[in-house]
Parts: sequence; C-alpha cells; structure tokens
Amino acid sequence: MVGTAMEMSATDTTTPHEAVVPPRIEVDDVSRTAPAAGGRLTTKLRVENLDYFYGKQQALFDNTIDYYENKVTAIIGPSGCGKSTHIRTFNRIFELYRDQRASGRALMNGKDILSSSVDVLEVRRRIGMIFQKPSPFPMSVFENTAYGLRLHYRMGRSELADRVEDALRRAALWEEVKDKLDEPGTALSGGQQQRLCIARAIAAEPEILLMDEPSSAIDPVATAKIEELIDVLKKNYTIVIVTHNMQQAARVSDYTAFFFEGYVVEYGDTRQIFENPAEKKTEDYITGRFG
Amino acid sequence: MSSLEGVPQRSRGRRKLGDRLVRVIAWAAASVGIGAMVWIIVEVVRRGAGAWNWDFFSKMPTAAGAPGGGILNAIVGTLLITGIAALMGIPAGFFAGVYLAEYGRNGRVASTIRLIGNVMMGVPSIIVGVFAYAVVVAPMGHFSAFAGGVALAIIMLPVMARTSEDILNLVPNELRESALAMGASRWRATLGVVVRAARSGLLTAGILAVVRVSGETAPLLLTVLNNNFWSSDIGRPMANMTVTIYQYANTPYADLQQKAWGASLLIIVGVLGANLLVRLIMQRGKEW
Repeated sequence: MVGTAMEMSATDTTTPHEAVVPPRIEVDDVSRTAPAAGGRLTTKLRVENLDYFYGKQQALFDNTIDYYENKVTAIIGPSGCGKSTHIRTFNRIFELYRDQRASGRALMNGKDILSSSVDVLEVRRRIGMIFQKPSPFPMSVFENTAYGLRLHYRMGRSELADRVEDALRRAALWEEVKDKLDEPGTALSGGQQQRLCIARAIAAEPEILLMDEPSSAIDPVATAKIEELIDVLKKNYTIVIVTHNMQQAARVSDYTAFFFEGYVVEYGDTRQIFENPAEKKTEDYITGRFG
Repeated sequence: MSSLEGVPQRSRGRRKLGDRLVRVIAWAAASVGIGAMVWIIVEVVRRGAGAWNWDFFSKMPTAAGAPGGGILNAIVGTLLITGIAALMGIPAGFFAGVYLAEYGRNGRVASTIRLIGNVMMGVPSIIVGVFAYAVVVAPMGHFSAFAGGVALAIIMLPVMARTSEDILNLVPNELRESALAMGASRWRATLGVVVRAARSGLLTAGILAVVRVSGETAPLLLTVLNNNFWSSDIGRPMANMTVTIYQYANTPYADLQQKAWGASLLIIVGVLGANLLVRLIMQRGKEW
C-alpha cells in the first residue's frame, strides 16, 4: 500500500524506502471527524461545521476537524477540493472578497475566531500564513522580517534587530542573508524568498502557521529545506499545511486530512491514512486512481 | 484517411503575392505615421532652434514688433500653472485610483466612477475650460493662473486615476493577501506594501499626467488668459507658453513667429525629457 502511494507522484525526489513517515501516535478513533485526543494531545484549533460559499456556490460542507498543538497536519486532496479554501478561512483573508463567506465555528483556544466580535487583526497576528508563491514585500530583507513586529509591537531598535536575527535563524536563512539585510527581499532566490516569508511570519510569534502549498513554486532542494524547517518549527507552532504532494504530506505531517469536493472524507494519523485508509475514496486517491 | 493526391491545389504564387502585398501596406502605413512625426519634429527644430538663445530663456518680451527679448514670463508661468494643476490633480487622481483598484473594485460605485472617468477623458479640453471659467473665473471676477491650474487638474485627474488603477492591478494579489495576513490594516497594507510595490509605475503615471496637459491651450485661454508682463500672482492672469504660441503665431512679426516656434520646440523637448525620465524610472524600478 505504501509502495503504490509513494510511486505515483512525479515530483517526488526520494525512493519509497527513503520516505520518512512520522512515528505513529496512538489514537483510538479513525472516524472522519477527528482522532480522539490521547492524553498527550491538546486541541489548538477546533473547526466545527464549517461551510463556505463563493457567492451562491458552496465550496466547503460541514468541515469538522481538530488541529492539535505542536503537530503538523497535512491537508491533501485533488485540485479544487477546497483545501486552500479551508485554511484560508482561519485568518479570515477571504473577507477581502465581498461575495465570499464562511459559516460555522473555528475555536482557537476555545474562542471562535470566525465571530465578528473577534478582532481580525489580532487573529491574524496569532495565525500566520505562508502562501504558495513567495511574496516578499517591496522592502529590505530586514524590513520584511520586521514587518509584523513593527505592526503589532513597540520595541527598541536593538530588540527589533535581535528578534529579526532570531526569526531569520529559525527560518534557516540567517547565514545566507546576514550580509545583505539591507538588500531588497525580492533579490533573493525563490527558495530564500519563501524562507524569508516564513521568517516574517514567525517573527511576530504566531501560535498557528498555515501553509498553502508552500513549496509548489520552488525547486526540490529548497523544498527539502522547507520540509526540514517544518519539522523544527512544530516544536513551537501548530502547523497546518496544504499540499499537492502526497510524499510531502507523508514526510512532514503527524496527521492528515483527505478532502474531496468540499468534504473532509477522512482524518487521522498520517501513517494510518497512507497505510490503512478507512475510506475507499481515500485509498483511491493515495493510490493514484484519480486526482 | 484518404490520400490528397489528385485534389487540385491552390496557387502558391498567389498566396505569396498576397503576403507581400499585406507587408507592403503595413510598412507604408507605418511610414506615413512615423514620417509625419519626424516631419513635425524636424520642422519645429528647424524653425524654432533659431529662437533659442540666452535671451529667449532669460528675458521678458519686448513691445510688439521690437526685436530681442524672450519669454521668461511664459516659461515660469507654464511651470507654475502646471505645478498647481499637478498638486491638485495628481493626488486626487492617485487616491481615486487606489479606491478603484483596492476598495471599490467591481462594486457599483467603482463601476460608476470608472465610467465617469472614461467620459471625462473623452471630454474636449475646451469644455473643461468653459467649466473652469464658470466655476472659478466668473465668481472671482477675473482670469487667474489658479483657474488654469484647476482646469488642467480636471484634465489630469481621470488620466491619473485610470493609470494608477491599472498599475495597482498589476501588483500580484499574493502581496495584498500576505500583508493582510500579517495583521496589517487595509490602509497600511495598501500604502505600505501594494503602493510601494507599484511606486515606480505610479511615479510614471504622475509624469505622464503632466505630459498630457503640457500642450493644452484652449482651457488656458478661457482661464489664465495671458500676460505680457511678469506676474507670479496665481490669483491674476499669467503668461504661459501655449497661449503665447497661439498669440505669437497669429502676429505678422517674423520675430514673434520664430519665438512661437522656439516655445513649441521647448514643449517638445520637455515632453521628450519626461518620457526619457519615465524610461529611466521604469528600468531602475525593476530592481525591486
């Protein structure tokens, strides 16, 4: 089963045997909602009955899922299944577009962040997002990294510089950019730009990091760096990553949710999803019968 | 599939002839257009270069018919009037463009404003002059440089608004979303990131808006009039180059006619300089 799943992606750079599957965490429930929390798991973000509409067209149906603290959850599924739409609801970026709306609840530490009474700027400070295409701002590497800090905090110049360095180090970028902090962020390579975006996101110390296909626009070597980074970052953050690449999902995530046509078809421990999916649809997808 | 052998073929010679014909027509049409431009420039340089000397730029006009003198007052006046217009028209047009691209988008209000903008761009400038006459000159009771500035600003505004909108629309949406995703408020994301990303294009838009009004004469005739003497009072009639060209060209004096050519050359050189500046800005802008 694993073999077939691993062989099907054209973008994969490793052989099936080298694929790193995260150690299995014991859960006793593999239903389509969420694995029951064992003693070690804390729910960071609980999504309940999330529906989403583009105008009159419904894109998400009754999504219910628990994201666990300090774990990486991968969202997989064919194009157009609602993966990106799903994570874009959490920092309410969709509110930029007048005919899009979400209903349902997303409880972060027990508080509904989709509620209009919650300060959306505060939600966005606490939930960082990395986009598919690296999007450095038109300013220096330093200013890019300091953007969120300047936005949300008052701090002295030396503390700012310290935090910028720290964020760049944690994004595994410091050694490459320490001599060009004053150069434009857009002058970096694509992979560096994406790590700059990660540094920018983590500098402001969010609690959750959303990643929307963060490596689909960059080369395999840069992708490997981002994946290593994800593994380190999960010690401090709860990470939700949308990916087209099933090997990536298998390599980086602890939990995996399979989406299809706007529904959460199956959600569970990553290894279980890839080795022993409960749903026929999931099996068909990971074995490459469609999508 | 059956063979095409035996099916009569179309003449290749005729097709090649047709191809050549179209190429000749396109080449001829392009030559006429470019030729006319070159002719204008050559003629203006030929007739106007003789007017250029130190006095032309540094002296006031002499009494009609007396040789010598310059058009210093008209040069300064044009710069002042255009400056007033730019101060009003460019910021207003810029913010209108920001509204259209960032806030209004496809909403009904934005669509209406866009339509009005398109209509305004098509309105003959003399009508803008009549309008400025009615709302500024008539209530003030006299012609003024300020009224001319208002008229030119009205002409600049839709140009600036639409080009700003187009340039802001070129900024990738990820940049907008990324700035908002960091927790930036809408205006901060817009001014700090989106506008910043588009700044060389926006600067270009401003320069081109100024260029757009540099040759306007009709609205100035109805608002600023002209002035044979020195005046830097924007509440009064002021000398300016286009109306000076119009008046000098209508005199029988060869000297004044040559000065009209000289002023025309100055405007053309200014427009050329502005365009070179734009190219320079756009090239440097690519670094970011």
